Amino acid sequence: MAGGIGLGVRIASLDLKNPLIVASGVLGVSVGLMKRAEEAGAAAVTTKTTTLKERTGHPNPVIYELEYGLLNSMGLPNPGASEMGTVVRRAKEVLRVPVIASIGAAAPDEAVKIAEHLLAADAIELNASCPHAKGYGIEIMSDPGLVAEIVSALKSLPLPVFVKLSAHGDLRLVASKAIEAGADVLVAINTLKGMAINVWARRPVLGGVYGGLSGPAIHPVAVRAVYELYEEFPGFPIIGVGGVESWEEAVEFMLAGASAVGVASALRRGFEVIGSIVSGIREYLANEGFASVREMVGLAHRV
Amino acid sequence: MYLLARVERVSKLCENVNEYLLRLDRKLGSKPGQFVMVWMPRVGEIPISVAWEKDSLLKLIIARKGVVTSYIHNNIREGCRFFLRGPLGKGFEITQGEALIVAGGYGAAPMLYLASMLREAGSRVTVALGFRENRNVMLVEEFEKLADRVFVATEDGSVGFKGQLTELVSSILSSSRYDIVYTCGREQMMERVVRMAMNAGIEVQASLERLIKCGIGICGSCTLEPQGLRVCWDGPVFNGYKLIQVDDFGKWWRDASGKRVPLPT
Ligand SMILES: Cc1cc2nc3c(=O)[nH]c(=O)nc-3n(C[C@H](O)[C@H](O)[C@H](O)COP(=O)(O)OP(=O)(O)OC[C@H]3O[C@@H](n4cnc5c(N)ncnc54)[C@H](O)[C@@H]3O)c2cc1C
Ligand SMILES: Cc1cc2nc3c(=O)[nH]c(=O)nc-3n(C[C@H](O)[C@H](O)[C@H](O)COP(=O)(O)O)c2cc1C
Ligand code: FES
Repeated sequence: MAGGIGLGVRIASLDLKNPLIVASGVLGVSVGLMKRAEEAGAAAVTTKTTTLKERTGHPNPVIYELEYGLLNSMGLPNPGASEMGTVVRRAKEVLRVPVIASIGAAAPDEAVKIAEHLLAADAIELNASCPHAKGYGIEIMSDPGLVAEIVSALKSLPLPVFVKLSAHGDLRLVASKAIEAGADVLVAINTLKGMAINVWARRPVLGGVYGGLSGPAIHPVAVRAVYELYEEFPGFPIIGVGGVESWEEAVEFMLAGASAVGVASALRRGFEVIGSIVSGIREYLANEGFASVREMVGLAHRV
Repeated sequence: MYLLARVERVSKLCENVNEYLLRLDRKLGSKPGQFVMVWMPRVGEIPISVAWEKDSLLKLIIARKGVVTSYIHNNIREGCRFFLRGPLGKGFEITQGEALIVAGGYGAAPMLYLASMLREAGSRVTVALGFRENRNVMLVEEFEKLADRVFVATEDGSVGFKGQLTELVSSILSSSRYDIVYTCGREQMMERVVRMAMNAGIEVQASLERLIKCGIGICGSCTLEPQGLRVCWDGPVFNGYKLIQVDDFGKWWRDASGKRVPLPT
């Protein structure tokens, strides 16, 4: 804590040494990558979304790089809940930072079955927002009642429940249902549904045809989502995700109302980006005369 | 974004292995050991090592294996299009001196490019190639043009030394002094070569394969444990001292779901 600046934040029961979390999907199911993220300075890591049974994901190509972001159609590949349980337990042995276990489920009992394998984690994140896997994600977001049922079923377990939202659909309605059902944290946003067509091949590029857009392109949409959520539910813990490439987007999220931020796509430039975002936040706080990250949360709303 | 390429020539190197000479719409700028993702619209996208590059010409050597490689063998002719992204990954480090290249099967593909770069850097190059049998032998004359010495091993003895490539390498290593060993091929073979070189106190670099999905280090499909090394980004070429600390080396692979499964043989 250089210069007495309080970088630490508490989200639900999770103590984070700084506001930077690695978002779901970019560390795969690799404990080694989670460890590298921790060593690079991340305050928490999120697992790849886990479903009950294993999924191989969509065929290649699964990624399309753009100047302003990435399109991916991974299709939620994961080894299934039981295997992911082993990965999470191993991660808890070698990591000191919290591990958030992301799950994808289309029904309450299914969600509980998955989460029961992942009780070694520090929190469960319900992925209510993946735009390119049928039966999961935005397909459940389009049913706010179902999201609420899944959340309240998950609340029977002893872990805090995070709900990851999409900017598609009725964000505020789904969020309010989730909060009523007992959600502890909102995470916004997941990727936006998109696609790309190659003009020479005259075909969609992605193997899954549709993909999720991430990176700088979606940042303003994500800031809007966080701002709206904070406005509607002031003081409720929010993790802002989408297009964080430097400290500036991270600070922007916090001013909009996020207590912490998630990064995914920026890691394509290497793990060092984590350290540079964290030190940039620290410098900003020091230069602008803030004593802690918490003082900055939601400041853009003050009249 | 994909680079567009036109096939200028298709040559058969041996049974089930073809060489594709491509003309790109711009220079790739690769190093030996780096790879490209080859997209065949409606079929799939696979990693293929750069076998040679000069100006806007690129060679890829492709062995028939499954869906995409068979499609390429069956359908891609002179004049057809290739869609590529890359160069991806980290290639071989060129170390000057006495170099030994050890390649099995289509693992020889990136090594021809490496051999020519080593020669340009002023190294002396010895090459040991291993193939199953006569009909799998390829690129021997091309290597003979570039290298100072070329040895061949076949399991059935139809060409060169009869036996495993690793036996040949063991005798080469005990008869002369090398500064660096480079290897590409089956991982079980490379594991033995890496250990032999390390035991002899020689620097060694090996090029690994795993299932490549994103190719840019962002999905974790190709990760080696426990270090979390990504074959597509931190590799595919790794140093021996790193590899001997990798539990997965020579032992574990990840299937398409990300689950660790025994390395296919
Ligand atoms: C960095 C890298 C460089 C490579 N360079 C070359 C090269 O220069 N020339 C060449 O011919 N091949 C190369 N390969 C291997 C090539 O990518 C695979 O043979 C190809 O992906 C198989 O695709 P397919 O659709 O034909 O087979 P599929 O139908 O996908 O599978 C057929 C079989 O091949 C296996 N397989 C699938 N993907 C791979 C893979 N990535 N590596 C090994 N086995 C695989 C599957 O498990 C299956 O058993 C390279 C692989 C990597 C990772
Ligand atoms: C390759 C890739 C895979 C992803 N996989 C998941 C996933 O499994 N579950 C999930 O909730 N979000 C997933 N995401 C979304 C990210 O967690 C994040 O919400 C989104 O990418 C926006 O953040 P960014 O702009 O920092 O990338 C994935 C994103 C990428 C790029
Ligand atoms: S293939 Fe995605 S990280 Fe290597």
